[in-house]
Amino acid sequence: MGLQCGQKLLDDAAKKVLTEGYGYVEDFKVTDIRLAICTISCCCALAALIYDYLYPFPVSRPILITCVLSYFALMTVLTIYTTFVEKNYIMFAVQKDEAGVGPDSYWSLHSTLKRYDQYYTLTLAYTDSVTKKEREQSLKKSVAAWFDEDGALLFDILEKDVRELHNGIASEKKDK
Amino acid sequence: MDLSLWFEDVRRMNKRQLFYQGLNFAMIVSSALMIWKGLMVVTGSESPIVVVLSGSMEPAFQRGDLLFLTNKEDPIRVGEIVVFKVEGREIPIVHRVLKIHEKEDGAIKFLTKGDNNSVDDRGLYAPGQLWLERKDVVGRARGFVPYVGMVTILMNDYPKFKYAILAALGLFVLIHRE
Repeated sequence: MGLQCGQKLLDDAAKKVLTEGYGYVEDFKVTDIRLAICTISCCCALAALIYDYLYPFPVSRPILITCVLSYFALMTVLTIYTTFVEKNYIMFAVQKDEAGVGPDSYWSLHSTLKRYDQYYTLTLAYTDSVTKKEREQSLKKSVAAWFDEDGALLFDILEKDVRELHNGIASEKKDK
Repeated sequence: MDLSLWFEDVRRMNKRQLFYQGLNFAMIVSSALMIWKGLMVVTGSESPIVVVLSGSMEPAFQRGDLLFLTNKEDPIRVGEIVVFKVEGREIPIVHRVLKIHEKEDGAIKFLTKGDNNSVDDRGLYAPGQLWLERKDVVGRARGFVPYVGMVTILMNDYPKFKYAILAALGLFVLIHRE
């Protein structure tokens, strides 16, 4: 279990605070789009494999060209998507409007833990339903703050920290 | 990695993560496949990279050399090294062209021989076959990298080694989370 695995644990725990603690609904759209891109590109490869098997090489050339080009195009799209859209977001969540009539608000969570670094940065961002303004707060702490001597995750401490972030944004909301 | 830890890891994943894990594996395989198919399209050869399995072309090629092939339309000439298939033989052969007969319409018949062999290849061809034709050619050697193919030879000679490597790679990809 390396640090990367520890990041995964912290990410999952932070997610849990938002979904179970606050009752926000996780929005899988961003993940699903990535999965769709991956699935389509795998289908391209599979199509090329099957077609080339049925109609051996020189005959299958035009189809192979199409499959290869679309596969690498999709790979480029995937790279662009993961670097510019998905970034290091852990999750997106929807906060249903309390009255059930107005538009929903959105929360997002992203984290960074550099290789060989002990500092874990967690950023919570909020997009207001009405003003569409985005606010964010982040915290940076050594990962050691959330694990005990045996390496077990101290969920309560992390929950407190995430709730602080959340309240920070909420109080900022009231100030305006 | 400890097996129980691994199960713990799997249990923690949800359906999306499991699907993604499977996809990840599929993507590695497809990337390799698409690079291969891409090379096929570019070089025009159904097998753009081959490994020399025998010493019959020494000293030009040693066992374990990696050859890059192209299969373009330009005419084959005496002295070129071709890779060809023979009916009834699974593995293509890499040998040098010794004699060529060419018709006006470009159709050719040719004979090959391994540099290190004392006789020509008629004994290797299908029974009754005296010449090779254009359709038998897989490609012509355009470049080589020495020794790299030794791994392939090892895997061919020791099938257990091959399965061990495949199993280790597969396990690594499945276990390695994101």
